Amino acid sequence: MKNRLFTFSILLLVGTTACNLEKGVDIDLPVAPAQLVLECYLEPGEVPQLTVSETVPYLAPPTPVVPAGVQVVLTGPGGFRETLRNQPGINPATQKVYTHRGRQPLNARPGDVFSIEVTDSKGRRLTGQATMPRIVPIDTVEWKFNDLTGDQRRANLLIRFQDQPDVPNFYRLQIHQDSISDDPNRDFELDDRLQNGQKITLGTSFRYAANDTLLVTLYHLDQPYYLFLQSVRDARNANGNPFAQPAAVKSTVQGGLGVFTILSYRRKTIIVR
Amino acid sequence: MRYFWLFQFVCLLLICSASLPVHAQERYVLSGYVRGGAANDLLPGASVAVPALGTGVSTDAQGFYSLTLPAGRYSVAVSFLGYQTVTREVNLTKNQRQSFSLPESSSQLKEVVVEASGTLEEKLRTPQMSMERLTAREAKLLPALFGEVDILKTLQLKPGVQNGGEGTSGLFVRGGSADQNLFLLDDAVVYNPSHLFGLFSVFNSDAVQSVDLYKGGFPAQYGGRLSSVVDVKFREGSKEKFGVSGGLGLISSRLTVEGPIGKDTTGAKGSFILSGRRTYFDVFTRQINRINEGKEDYDPIPDYHFYDFNAKGNYKLGEKDQLFLTGYYGRDIFGFESPNGFNFNFTWGNTVGALRWNHVFSPRLYVNTSVSYTRYQYDITNKLDQFSFGLGSDIRDLALRTDFSYVPNDRHTVQFGATTTNHRFGVGRLQAGSNDGTVNIGSNVAYRGQEAALYASDNFKVSDKLQLDYGLRLTGFQSDSGRFGGLEPRLATRYSLTPNTTLKASYALMYQYVHLVTNSGASLPTDVWYPSRRNVKPQRSQQVATGVSFLLGDGKYLLTNEVYYKWAQNQVDFRDGAQLFVNNNLDAEFLFGRGWAYGNELYLEKKQGRTTGWIGYSLAWTQRKFLPQRGGTGINEGRAFFPTYDRRHNLTVVLLHQLSERINLSGSFVFTSGSPTTLPTGRFMIQDVFGDDITAVPVYPDRNTYRLAPYHRMDLGLVYKLRPRHGESDLTLSIYNAYNRRNPYFIYFDQIRDKETDDILRYEAKQVSLFPLIPSVTYNFKF
Repeated sequence: MKNRLFTFSILLLVGTTACNLEKGVDIDLPVAPAQLVLECYLEPGEVPQLTVSETVPYLAPPTPVVPAGVQVVLTGPGGFRETLRNQPGINPATQKVYTHRGRQPLNARPGDVFSIEVTDSKGRRLTGQATMPRIVPIDTVEWKFNDLTGDQRRANLLIRFQDQPDVPNFYRLQIHQDSISDDPNRDFELDDRLQNGQKITLGTSFRYAANDTLLVTLYHLDQPYYLFLQSVRDARNANGNPFAQPAAVKSTVQGGLGVFTILSYRRKTIIVR
Repeated sequence: MRYFWLFQFVCLLLICSASLPVHAQERYVLSGYVRGGAANDLLPGASVAVPALGTGVSTDAQGFYSLTLPAGRYSVAVSFLGYQTVTREVNLTKNQRQSFSLPESSSQLKEVVVEASGTLEEKLRTPQMSMERLTAREAKLLPALFGEVDILKTLQLKPGVQNGGEGTSGLFVRGGSADQNLFLLDDAVVYNPSHLFGLFSVFNSDAVQSVDLYKGGFPAQYGGRLSSVVDVKFREGSKEKFGVSGGLGLISSRLTVEGPIGKDTTGAKGSFILSGRRTYFDVFTRQINRINEGKEDYDPIPDYHFYDFNAKGNYKLGEKDQLFLTGYYGRDIFGFESPNGFNFNFTWGNTVGALRWNHVFSPRLYVNTSVSYTRYQYDITNKLDQFSFGLGSDIRDLALRTDFSYVPNDRHTVQFGATTTNHRFGVGRLQAGSNDGTVNIGSNVAYRGQEAALYASDNFKVSDKLQLDYGLRLTGFQSDSGRFGGLEPRLATRYSLTPNTTLKASYALMYQYVHLVTNSGASLPTDVWYPSRRNVKPQRSQQVATGVSFLLGDGKYLLTNEVYYKWAQNQVDFRDGAQLFVNNNLDAEFLFGRGWAYGNELYLEKKQGRTTGWIGYSLAWTQRKFLPQRGGTGINEGRAFFPTYDRRHNLTVVLLHQLSERINLSGSFVFTSGSPTTLPTGRFMIQDVFGDDITAVPVYPDRNTYRLAPYHRMDLGLVYKLRPRHGESDLTLSIYNAYNRRNPYFIYFDQIRDKETDDILRYEAKQVSLFPLIPSVTYNFKF
């Protein structure tokens, strides 16, 4: 909302002058030491895959920087311990790049605690720990068409699920069209502080056409991952918004930046008819 | 117990001041009001002098004076810059009431020579330091952005006062944040004194008589904010005749109606003034939308406009009683409706009302008692298909205050009074739902608070050379989860080294019990006010200042140098990523730290002659420190940092020149050091779980470690008096940013992508400026 208002005021007051009020500038940014960056989303039944990189100066060329001599050790319940192989590749299902990969599918249940340790040849050490959240089922996914005809005939979605009152809960809803490797057309996080213990209904506008195939994914997040997602969004939005207070990313790991979490989600695929 | 101490203090003041040795000769009190001009407005700060005795006083904020003199026949001279001096013979054989009405200066372009309220000599003599008084007429002579005269922006040209960003009317005074300014409109608090993100203030210059800005040395009757008091007085309207005035500007128009009310043998019993203005952005944008209606890829421009109405009336009930009624109502309205059914409305604004009763018990004692109501609110409503969303917040105050002024003799002026305010904080109100009721979410966070204060002060002329203004203020605040209070001593002194050189010093302790919830660094309409509570302690500051003033060039110039140091506790900020909207546990989002500011302000002003103006330069430092707390790392892990409004150097030059009877020129130049800002030092890439493209995430270092380029700007103005058949009129031309300097507003980083592959080629830093050279013309009329 602030962005919209700010954009409006700029348009209104400055746009009329038809002058170029933006220019490239050379600036000397302070240089900070490079930090290890981990991006790891463990998923039950899937072979662990993760990406280790490092921070670079903001104005550095956009070439990926992969630290040398990285060793990744994953530990879990029942004495599970695995050193992941440095085996860069692309996940064919998600089209995501990874640098390290496990050997076997992960056996994880809600409540299980996993830890990770990343070290490199420069002596840097990054650690993280995560607990798999309980799975929250999607009770219903309903759709309803508007009263219009032709191309304007569209359906909305209503997704319902039950919140548990015992602890604070954090959710993320994604709706993909046709494939999860495409960008989701709806993607947002929420907490349950206003609807604790209630049946939660999330909806969309009338935007889907007949015969659209939709993949509705409801994630139940642990709080560190939820805060990480929000802080990443805040950090990105602060670039270009003079009203925002730039804030540090709240990593779920220590000794570096990034996220280590265990995904807990339910997905329903529907065809809007 | 504390109230008992204050009671004792007041009694002591009254006893001490009343029991001072009285001269053998009978002494009587000469008192009354000083008014001026065709509108017969009260003139605060006018000089009432008895040259034969070498004594005199200035009128107070209500235009009232009181002089204790030996019995005898005297010539009393009353003067105010811009008005003709009136001298009247007075035979003082008993307490006497003498009010004065000063005709305006005979010059056709009165405003040129008239500026300033109070003479420089009076400013030299008073123990009050760190204070500026401006009249609306002064502001009207200066060039203005879009031709919109703004008295708060004129205050930004004074040393020690920073703005909150290009073109904005927010004030940052001596290292204080934007919420630490107390804005008073005829004694009623105004919580958000700006329209459109602070680009314009809510004070319509047609309705404003004067503004007093206190940067330090706060008199005891003021309290509740740490850093400044901005006391705005509305005009009262003409008691002589009905009149209409107004203006047509680039973005808004104004209209004011005023006139007398009732009549008795001495003239009008009262007067009124009604003033309004409205912008017309929306008229243009609707036309643009209409022209582009139906075009593909055209996003309609949202509707925006603001308006405000001001009203003031006064009525004389009798010789000793007068009523004053003030009202303000203003709204900003932002609306957007897209073809696909998305509907967004955002309204915000202030409502203010104040009723004041002035009663003169005797020439030595009078009282002003007022009841006031103020409310600031914003409401957002959002509708998309079957879903609706509403968000709002408000703060409502109902206040009662009484202020006594007692002049026991010519060496003392005692002021004492009390105030109480009932606050209602509507911190957050949210309603979201769907038409069929399947979605229904609501939340309402609201608190109450009661604030009260007792104060007493004495302006004591110890000798011709030494004058003291000392006082004490006892304040308290009670909310549903906490009770706070404190004593606030105030002291200001003046010592005359020579007739043209004075030394001054002051000390003030201030408490602030209400806090602005914002993490934007700027004043936004969605900022909400929050009470002190068990876990949110009151803010507190102390300031010492010392200065020296020289009257130069036969009284034409006043050179002042002030040094100040301010230190503050319980300064408020918010943790990174704080949830500030609709949060039932907002207390947990606060961070508390300390702050300090110090600097030197040099100020040369000239108020008489064809060329007037001032030059101000301040060298200042402001820092804040938030240690690790509440399980977090504080800010910058406890290291001190410069807030965004820290400016090392600030130079302002303001010149007004009467070129001829009909032409008045003005110009101003501003130079300030660059604003501290936070820029990312690094970045890393995130792929996310499913779908999203790979994105760059900035890594931010400590807060505000980078400084933008220095800011400088010159504005030029010209007022050309027309010769209409009826009344008066003029054309006011303004050129904002005359040499088209591209001042930095903010810097962001852009990804430069390959047009074919969409791959990122490089990153670039881009600087955005807000206002280029902007000419404007305004037509003003009065008849």
